[in-house]
Amino acid sequence: MKFQIEDVTVYFPYDHIYPEQYSYMIELKRALDAKGHCLLEMPTGTGKTIALLSLITSYSLSKPQSPIKLIYCTRTVHEMEKTLAELKLLHNYQIKHLGPQARILAIGLSSRKNLCVNPTVLAAENRDSVDAGCRKLTASWVRAMAAENPNVPTCQFFENYEKAASAAVLPPGVYTLQDLRAFGKEKGWCPYFLARHMVQFANVVVYSYQYLLDPKVAGIISKEMQKESVVVFDEAHNIDNVCIEALSVSVRRQTLEGATRNLNRISQEIDRFKATDASRLRSEYNRLVEGLALRGNLPITDTWLSNPALPDDILKEAVPGNIRRAEHFLHVLRRLVQYLRGRLETDNVEKESPVGFVASISSHAGIDQKTLKFCYDRLHSLMLTLEITDTDEFLHIQTICDFATLIGTYARGFSIIIEPFDERMPHIPDPVLQLSCHDASLAIKPVFDRFQSVVITSGTLSPIDLYPRLLNFHPVVSRSFTMSLTRDCICPMVLTRGSDQLPVSTKFDMRSDPGVVRNYGKLLLEMVSVVPDGIVCFFVSYSYMDGIINTWNDSGILKEIMQHKLVFIETQDVVETTLALDNYRRACDCGRGAVFFSVARGKVAEGIDFDRHYGRLVIMFGVPFQYTLSKILLARLEYLRDTFQIKEGDFLTFDALRQAAQCVGRVIRSKADYGMMIFADKRYSRHDKRSKLPSWILSHLRDANLNLSTDMALHIAREFLRKMAQPYDKTGGSDRKTLLSQEDLEKMGDGSVHEMLY
Amino acid sequence: MNNGGARRMNGGGEEDDDEDYVNGDLDAWERTYTDERSWESLQEDESGLLRPIDNKALYHSQYRRRLRSLSSTATAARIQKGLIRYLYLVIDLSRAASETDFRPSRIVVIAKHVEAFIREFFDQNPLSQVGLLTIKDGVAQCLTDLGGSPESHIKALMNKLECSGDSSLQNALDLVDGYLNQIPSYGHREVLILYSALSTCDPGDIMETIQKCKKSKIRCSVIGLAAEMFICKHLCQETGGTYSVALDESHFKELILEHAPPPPAIAEFATANLIKMGFPQRAAEGSISICSCHKEAKVGAGYTCPRCKARVCELPTECCICGLTLVSSPHLARSYHHLFPIAPFDEVPPFSLNDPNHKLQRNCFGCQQSLLNPGNKPGLLVVCPKCKGYFCLDCDIYIHESLHNCPGCDSFRHSKADKE
Repeated sequence: MKFQIEDVTVYFPYDHIYPEQYSYMIELKRALDAKGHCLLEMPTGTGKTIALLSLITSYSLSKPQSPIKLIYCTRTVHEMEKTLAELKLLHNYQIKHLGPQARILAIGLSSRKNLCVNPTVLAAENRDSVDAGCRKLTASWVRAMAAENPNVPTCQFFENYEKAASAAVLPPGVYTLQDLRAFGKEKGWCPYFLARHMVQFANVVVYSYQYLLDPKVAGIISKEMQKESVVVFDEAHNIDNVCIEALSVSVRRQTLEGATRNLNRISQEIDRFKATDASRLRSEYNRLVEGLALRGNLPITDTWLSNPALPDDILKEAVPGNIRRAEHFLHVLRRLVQYLRGRLETDNVEKESPVGFVASISSHAGIDQKTLKFCYDRLHSLMLTLEITDTDEFLHIQTICDFATLIGTYARGFSIIIEPFDERMPHIPDPVLQLSCHDASLAIKPVFDRFQSVVITSGTLSPIDLYPRLLNFHPVVSRSFTMSLTRDCICPMVLTRGSDQLPVSTKFDMRSDPGVVRNYGKLLLEMVSVVPDGIVCFFVSYSYMDGIINTWNDSGILKEIMQHKLVFIETQDVVETTLALDNYRRACDCGRGAVFFSVARGKVAEGIDFDRHYGRLVIMFGVPFQYTLSKILLARLEYLRDTFQIKEGDFLTFDALRQAAQCVGRVIRSKADYGMMIFADKRYSRHDKRSKLPSWILSHLRDANLNLSTDMALHIAREFLRKMAQPYDKTGGSDRKTLLSQEDLEKMGDGSVHEMLY
Repeated sequence: MNNGGARRMNGGGEEDDDEDYVNGDLDAWERTYTDERSWESLQEDESGLLRPIDNKALYHSQYRRRLRSLSSTATAARIQKGLIRYLYLVIDLSRAASETDFRPSRIVVIAKHVEAFIREFFDQNPLSQVGLLTIKDGVAQCLTDLGGSPESHIKALMNKLECSGDSSLQNALDLVDGYLNQIPSYGHREVLILYSALSTCDPGDIMETIQKCKKSKIRCSVIGLAAEMFICKHLCQETGGTYSVALDESHFKELILEHAPPPPAIAEFATANLIKMGFPQRAAEGSISICSCHKEAKVGAGYTCPRCKARVCELPTECCICGLTLVSSPHLARSYHHLFPIAPFDEVPPFSLNDPNHKLQRNCFGCQQSLLNPGNKPGLLVVCPKCKGYFCLDCDIYIHESLHNCPGCDSFRHSKADKE
């Protein structure tokens, strides 16, 4: 269908549109008009992605004089593929209506592991070794050698791509990663480098968060994006954590040992070069004296990860004299590693600011701040000079240099924490030195500054006013949309008491109370007998889950549960969890029924959908607060309080509730679906906790369901499931329109839409 | 209800004070009533007395929706229907069937309505046969073989109503598949499963069994008593059956009775066939003979097979000696209306009654009652699309569900015939 939003003709590939999609588009359009940033919350399952794509592409089609580029960031490769598939559908529709002028180029970009088509390189198991395998075949010196000696292996796909030179372009169209690989295979061109090249020309680019937020990656991939771009962060409820991780480094014992090995290897290489080709080292030295930029004039295959600091903070200066010579630089690194090893040998938890740490390095190891700052660039240059291709072996020393550069560059917003052991397991020494970033706004600031509009959207962004403060920006639009439903297909409940009327909670002083554990067990036991197919349970942490399952096992509750449904458990092992999930799905499919025990903040809670019969009920046992004694969290809380005036309690509750909402949101993936959500903790009935849930859950949380005991919840569940099993009318009754056709949209002007929606 | 009291009791804790009066100054107990809006189900009559709202109109609209959905599939393309049905009724007697959310217990309710269903089924499908199966302790058992006598099925069922153990859909389907495979090709194979449990413990891969049923053209329908299960839905979708879940006892009754009229035949299976049938004569009153079905001498009231002259007690049945299908002509006639149902009547919008141009019938053509509601307000009424006779809602239901003839059309046809 096609309709008008103010001056933009929107092409929408389906015959009907949900009212919330329509208002989402209106808000989005306003933000684009204002060339500002926006923050939009809309529940999953309402077609956020297609609404975004169709509005932004239509917007750019209707204003051909100033075309805008869309940069769409997703969290996972799977989401990337889904987005591109939707875009393909939309693109075909637009071509059908507008003809060839609607042609756009849209590509997905991912790591070599997902795009490489060279079978020998692909054989490597992880991302870093694929990268290294590629470099071994395509680095400029390898190719130079191959030109002289045909026995040196090269990548034929890359050679073909180079030969085609400027002729190597993608014809317009929408390319998923799979399409790119197929195209590459057919033409014999390397899809990865082709995609990297085409990113500059594409109208739509879909890639992962890191390509924009992590300065190491963004520096080489996203440097040349135009300012007239719209950046979309989808599923962005955890964007602050991504930003923080991008600037945090942790150093363990293994890192230091690996770094020492790397340094030995480098020193061997240097000796070898000195013996055979001393002029190379000399020319590098000369280049450094002249202060030549390292990047910019390198061939595309030689670029490594770029500087971990943000582009604005990198000094455009020559490398200081004391590390210009390779041997001197090695000595500096050795001293640094030695110093860090000394710091790790501690029995107490230590917390320091970067300034203090740098001062201490300078007094103990004799390395000043400026030298630290240049560590990364200097290492990069050295590796190039030494023609090292197996970069995956050198990750350890690279981590050390990242660390050095970051502490050399930043004085605020970071802290260094050394912990001799994990607090939960004090007997096992596992010293770790962490440089942790506290300020999410640092990493995202260049994105806000560079691009015209940044859209942050997710199903759970409540409370929506906290994100602008955390990320330090001013949105022109921030709105939260609710879901228009044909029937009340979600049933949230707050369970505060067990059948014996004793309160249940995972509060620290109550969580090990046998009464609470038993009540939780009874709750699950009752629920498995009335809920069909799949049930998902989320616990606050792995240790709590282990404890409670053990107790249930001892008291026989687990056995009784198994009479009704099979039980599967998420573990920290990815393979094991995948297997468990797979079997869980099979048990749901064949009617045996299953329960999945999982952990909030775990992999399952973030990325796995339990839609339809895979999740008819989700129980959130407790409030998933972060581990509040963690030193890093405490440091971050302190920083947030001092810098952004966000109260500790507010932030913790916000963070816990967004995780809880994320967990329970797993069960509803579309409007035709239905599911129940039980928040099993008495603290959820308090206003300050509950009000931080997203509005689409709150609007269905009736007052009568706020303070339930197990037996009452059971009754409600029975009723609800029976009601939902009845056939229903998909378009909604006449009074509650939940699907709008083109005529509906034309009939009502903007005014009436607003009346209807709000 | 529970909200208010419980909250007061529990709200004493130091931190649990409810600072959240969302609905302003309403008290907790008032709020629950605000949610339920129980006063809306009452209305005041002429004399100012309160009485529950007349839900006849509501009931009728439900009925009409059902009728429309039936007729849209049936009459539009004159769909072939399976009149000779072989139906296995599978009753789940697992642990879940003893639950008491239906009063007094699920199994009692099931038994009660199965009895009614079996009678209704034979009433509507005199040429068909039913068998009973139970699932108990994970095993499926055959209670009665296919047969045409309602009494024997009902008696067999009433003796076996204990529930225990798990339920297994696959075992039941396997057993049914084994029995129904032997049925002659003109018969329509159906299973109706009354499923109380919420899971199924199967020995093998149930998906294969479902495919097997699909291949044997068995139409599987399920009525759930608790909640929607994926595997049941999948089974029904694959085999062309219907899946429904009962809300309460009356809804369960409605659902099970929906299975009494014959379903449309599966397309690729609906080949026309000639079937040999015998129309036995009723034996003379007072004559004594040995009946072939009970092997005992009986006086009078029996039928004689036209081919082998054996004596049987009741119709319809198969002759135990020569295997001929024995029916009487009213049985055939009763099955006939499924093929040629009367068109659903059109609803008349109330305002057209006030239209002075419109000739107004004041009384229902069927029962001759006034069509106006008390207080001379026009009520809902329907009109036959062929003879344009007006009917009240009760007559509408009666004509479509029991009479299967439109009195208007029939009397007009007769009067026309008289004139000629």
